[in-house]
Amino acid sequence: MSINNDPIREIFTRRVQPVSRRGMLRHAACGLSTIGLANVLAQSSPLSLKNPHYAPRAKRVIFLFMHGGPSSIDTFDPKERLVRDHGKPLPIKRPLAFADQEAGPLMKSPWAFKNGGQSGIPVSDLFPHVREMVDELCVIRSLVGDGVDHGGAMLQMFTGSSTFVRPSMGAWTVYGLGTENQDLPGYITIKPTLSHGGAKNYGSAFLPGAYQGTPIGHGGMKVEEIKNEPIQYLLNKGLTPEQQRFELDMIQNINRKHQELRTVDPNLEARIQAFELAFRMQTQAPEIFAVDNESDATKKLYGIDDPTTEDFGWQCLLARRLCEKGVRFVQCTHPVKWDQHVDLFAKHTSNAAEVDKPIAGLLKDLKSRGLLKDTLVIWAGEFGRTPVSESGNGRDHNPYGYTVWMAGGGVKPGFVYGSTDEIGYHAEENRMHIHDWHATILHLLGLQHDKLTFNYSGRDFRLTDVAGVVHEKIFV
Amino acid sequence: MSKPLSLLASFALSVSAQTAERVEFFEKNIRPLLATKCQMCHNAKAKTSGLDMSTGDAFMAGGASGSLVNIDTPEQSLILRVLAYDGALKMPPTGKLKDDEIRKVREWIQMGAPWPGAEPRTANAAAKPSGTRKHGSAFTDSEWKFWAFQPVAKPVAAKSIDAYLREALAAKNLKPAARADKATLLRRVTFDLHGLPPTEKQLAEFLADSSKDAYAKVVERLLASPRYGEKWGRHWLDVARYADSTGNDEDHRYPYAWRYRDYVIDAFNHDLPFNQFVREQVAGDLMPAAPGEPVNRRGIIATGFLTLGAKAVAQQDKKKMLLDVYDEQIDVLSKTFLGVTLACARCHDHKFDPLTQKDYYGMMGMFASTKQFRDTEPNVAMLLFTPLVSKAEYEKYEAAQSVVANKGIDIGIVIDRERQAAQEKWLERLGEYMLAARAVRPKKNYDKTLGLNERVIEKWVAHFRETEVPRPWLDAFHKGDNDAAAIAKLQESAKENLAAWAKKMSAFRVRERKQLAEKNMLYEMPKLIDEKDGFFRDVFADAGPFGIASKAIDDFASEAGKKELAALRAEQKKLKDELPPEPDMACGIEESTPFNAKVFVRGDYNALGEDAPKTFPLVVAGKDRPIITQGGGRRELADWLASDTNPLTARVIVNRVWSWHFGEGIVRTPDNFGRMGERPTHPELLDALASQFVRNGWSIKKLHRQILLSDAYQMSSAPSAEAAKADPENRLFSRFPRRRLLVEEMRDGMLAISGKIDMTMGGTMQTGFGTDSESSNSRMSISPEEQTRRSVYLPLRRSNLPALLNLFDFGDATTANGKRIATNVAPQALFLMNSKFVAEQAEAVAKDAAGLPLKDRAERLYLKILNRSARPAEIDNAMSYTAAFQKQFPKMQEPSAWQSLARILFASNEFIYVD
Repeated sequence: MSINNDPIREIFTRRVQPVSRRGMLRHAACGLSTIGLANVLAQSSPLSLKNPHYAPRAKRVIFLFMHGGPSSIDTFDPKERLVRDHGKPLPIKRPLAFADQEAGPLMKSPWAFKNGGQSGIPVSDLFPHVREMVDELCVIRSLVGDGVDHGGAMLQMFTGSSTFVRPSMGAWTVYGLGTENQDLPGYITIKPTLSHGGAKNYGSAFLPGAYQGTPIGHGGMKVEEIKNEPIQYLLNKGLTPEQQRFELDMIQNINRKHQELRTVDPNLEARIQAFELAFRMQTQAPEIFAVDNESDATKKLYGIDDPTTEDFGWQCLLARRLCEKGVRFVQCTHPVKWDQHVDLFAKHTSNAAEVDKPIAGLLKDLKSRGLLKDTLVIWAGEFGRTPVSESGNGRDHNPYGYTVWMAGGGVKPGFVYGSTDEIGYHAEENRMHIHDWHATILHLLGLQHDKLTFNYSGRDFRLTDVAGVVHEKIFV
Repeated sequence: MSKPLSLLASFALSVSAQTAERVEFFEKNIRPLLATKCQMCHNAKAKTSGLDMSTGDAFMAGGASGSLVNIDTPEQSLILRVLAYDGALKMPPTGKLKDDEIRKVREWIQMGAPWPGAEPRTANAAAKPSGTRKHGSAFTDSEWKFWAFQPVAKPVAAKSIDAYLREALAAKNLKPAARADKATLLRRVTFDLHGLPPTEKQLAEFLADSSKDAYAKVVERLLASPRYGEKWGRHWLDVARYADSTGNDEDHRYPYAWRYRDYVIDAFNHDLPFNQFVREQVAGDLMPAAPGEPVNRRGIIATGFLTLGAKAVAQQDKKKMLLDVYDEQIDVLSKTFLGVTLACARCHDHKFDPLTQKDYYGMMGMFASTKQFRDTEPNVAMLLFTPLVSKAEYEKYEAAQSVVANKGIDIGIVIDRERQAAQEKWLERLGEYMLAARAVRPKKNYDKTLGLNERVIEKWVAHFRETEVPRPWLDAFHKGDNDAAAIAKLQESAKENLAAWAKKMSAFRVRERKQLAEKNMLYEMPKLIDEKDGFFRDVFADAGPFGIASKAIDDFASEAGKKELAALRAEQKKLKDELPPEPDMACGIEESTPFNAKVFVRGDYNALGEDAPKTFPLVVAGKDRPIITQGGGRRELADWLASDTNPLTARVIVNRVWSWHFGEGIVRTPDNFGRMGERPTHPELLDALASQFVRNGWSIKKLHRQILLSDAYQMSSAPSAEAAKADPENRLFSRFPRRRLLVEEMRDGMLAISGKIDMTMGGTMQTGFGTDSESSNSRMSISPEEQTRRSVYLPLRRSNLPALLNLFDFGDATTANGKRIATNVAPQALFLMNSKFVAEQAEAVAKDAAGLPLKDRAERLYLKILNRSARPAEIDNAMSYTAAFQKQFPKMQEPSAWQSLARILFASNEFIYVD
């Protein structure tokens, strides 16, 4: 049957399968072996699975980012000395970057700390729900960064460099490991920030664009707006899925003809496959984003029933759904709210109220679904805040020693690592620079940080630049 | 010779005399100090700043800033300077050691720093040389002889591009591919030179023209059109990492960046000699104005090349902020013009190329001799905007503005005064207000005869209602057991605070006037929110019970005050109306005081190394490179870059042009000609092109002609079986490489095909200054999908580039990008299948064809979208498809079916790839 006689039939018989047998035969006829073609296709999909350097402890990451810089000494790192010396002058010299500002007096935390769980790790009253889950947390009290401003600190937290544009941690991760679900992006960032570097914080810089984070809305959007079209171009507003499949079959028919008239070019085949993947993605995605289909109990667990926790609860629940579907790296962002130069008490109270329950809900849910063991959950801001007050009732930025925590994914549960000095200004014991932290996270994912490189502009680049020490003591 | 001898002598002594006494001194006084104050950072693992102080040997080895101990003159030991807190580098960071402790360290150093168990030390006392090259600063022979640094070789005999290429092919027994067919060639060269597809008419004319020079005529037509500058200017903007905002932290707009973009487009359209183009971009502001012009307008605009990079304007370490800006400029300039990565030598000598830290700082001095910001003092540094009119005219404008601003201060002072008066009156009756407001809640009323201000009472009521924020200062009043005492206490401190605030404001006004006079800038007012007294801050804030917003001052001011304000406002309005229009401005650079740089050891500006006089990189400029002692050196830099004898500038641009035509350069790493870059596949051809280019007066258009008229450019993209096997990567240019459209070509092409494109040239679509609130949509770039102008004119917010551009590998506008990558990922397919933009263009094309008989419609669509005639089978196929579409989906009418077909063609590989 020739094309001329029955084109429509021809269209349907030629529907593209992922590496069709027919394609194989045709390529084989062109002198390219089947294995060769498979290689070409594997190479042409930058997201296909790759072998890690070690057996991974964590398969995926959920990064809960608190934009603005939550105060460590008011959340996970209590300081007796501040209670004792409340109102007294700072006993040490201010770090250089702040040296020209007059330091306020020491300020104790306005929140009480209580020991949580079996481990008895103290957590302040800002996070009562997370406190209930503290036995799952590995609290690192000794993180150190170089950026004293939001822009530099965030870029470093996400890309390793506080000054240059480099690929983000999520991009490096997917570059190193590929992703399990070929029908979805490997790195998804929910409601990312538009400020302090904006898209550069989840960009792929010089890595191929396939590794950049796919944004779901942005920080300025309401969940309701995002639900309409979570990923750009995901929905066709004019055609039904059947009509679209019909159209796509014709595209592929024309592409196959085009391909036949040309010598083998892997790009042409890759693009044909990209269209098939896109179609599968748009078929799968609406189901994945249908957070509303979760049970009432689950929604409640994440606080989606309460206007205060609704937004971050939705983010956390969506993150879990994406992880279940094999997305490698998911980030949730609590927008730039934590920057309390003034009004620490009121604002930290309302900020924590928005995220506390959703985070605890996420941990519980991951645990009950058996996902927590190989999902690394990270909670972090771009820095902590000073033990001295600013403007009487706020705190300034402090990257010299602050707290982040991780859970699941091979980190010791109910464990405190590192410490800051008596007042919580500088990290003291087991200092963990951001480069070290990155090296440690990559290690958990099965990647050796100094082997995960990309040659660009004449040099091998890595997430950890020329530094990075893996802190194995936090591993299970 | 006595010194080294005495040094050795004292050394021998210190080693032999490591007596028990000294060891004890160390164990008792020094080791505990090091352990508690130093080793938390300077240990073998963390090695902060390259320094490990955990063992004697490591201690003596020093760190990035050099040796800690100067055995020769112990008093000058780095460690003592640092401990004394008398330089920029102060340690430990947690606070200066006690005097007694420092004395102990000094004593220990004077003993020769004995450390039990440490190896006897060699004399590593003197500071290490600043570089890190293994062989010191001398380059090896092979470094000197590296191909890229050699003078461009003039061809021995005149030889065409094709001759060079054929020779290389013949050496492998290969032949070049056959000639491409005419339609393919026209599509190729039109997208190449214009970034747009050929129109039906152009296609018909070319196909009908059987003259020998038909193709040459097309090339001339294309080169003469302004569409050419829009496409090739965009190539240059990739290299110049062009964007319309600072990116990084705050993403402030560059409101006049577009003038640089228009300059670039114009330069290509008018074939500005490339050496002149280089000179203007590096030092145009220093070049004389054309006769009759007050300033070198074009030259000033051209320096946008230097200034339009990514900047972290809110960095609090302003010194570092500036150094990062210089670094960014060195990076983009060295890659763009020289194809070397000089910025790699900021912290250490280049690891691969013979480029030293001294070379880096020699150039850094030139940028440090410029003015880059209007003011770096504020929290967020203010960008520099340069006027494009004479200094006198600009000063006149500034002065007029300053008069308006001063009038604004006059108004501000009256507002301050009136506000204070009203507040003082209210404060006198604080108790009555508070009690009245408290009475309102339970009883809904209060004593109306008191003559209290109703609005103020309402605000007090609202104030008491808020309970979210704890207000301990109100506790006593709320308790209510002794109102008089509670109120008196609040009143007293509020009075003090109000008086202090008035003083603060009047001091601010004085400062404000001074700022205006000195810098023509206004600074931010003190904010009540920064006040420490909670009661005062809450109550007197604009929204507070006693607060008065400036806008509302007329409601509370005295009659005299109101009159005064009205008069002042009228005067200000008149002045504003009379203001001359803002002169044209640019985002350019200005010359400042010449700066003599020193090498920063490990890139740390607190660790100054040897002098780095202003000069050019040694390996490129040669041993007789000039040392610039007068002025900032940028002028000299520009001339050196643009000189006929610079070995790199011509090679690099010729290679870029080749690479933009052929998809790959003769050197396949167009931004890196160094050791880690690739070697030229056809070195002789590269040099021939470069030397002809210089001889042709650095004319880019002549270079285009040379390349475009070659047989190589007109080859088919189909390789012979032999070439596919022997030259899979097409390194020999055995065929024309198929390439994916750039995102601009895809978008502009669709708009051109649908007829919706707006060909307006130049100007800006960006509005506003500064930046926007953190989660605001205005932080995003304008969406290309909602615009119809050519992509090159859409403003780019660097932090949030348009998603469409990111999706199709636009790059990130942060460093010179001579070669875009082309990925094939599913989200790109989603754009073609689902976006409103593609649907709209498809609809328009289908509509345009709708008037034709059915059988001619497919032909029209093929001609427009794929720029060729449809084959009979394709016409049948198209007609069957549209018929089946309607039959299968009865709800879909004929227009939808043809829209679908148009979208199919837009989405096809044939559209996206150029053969």
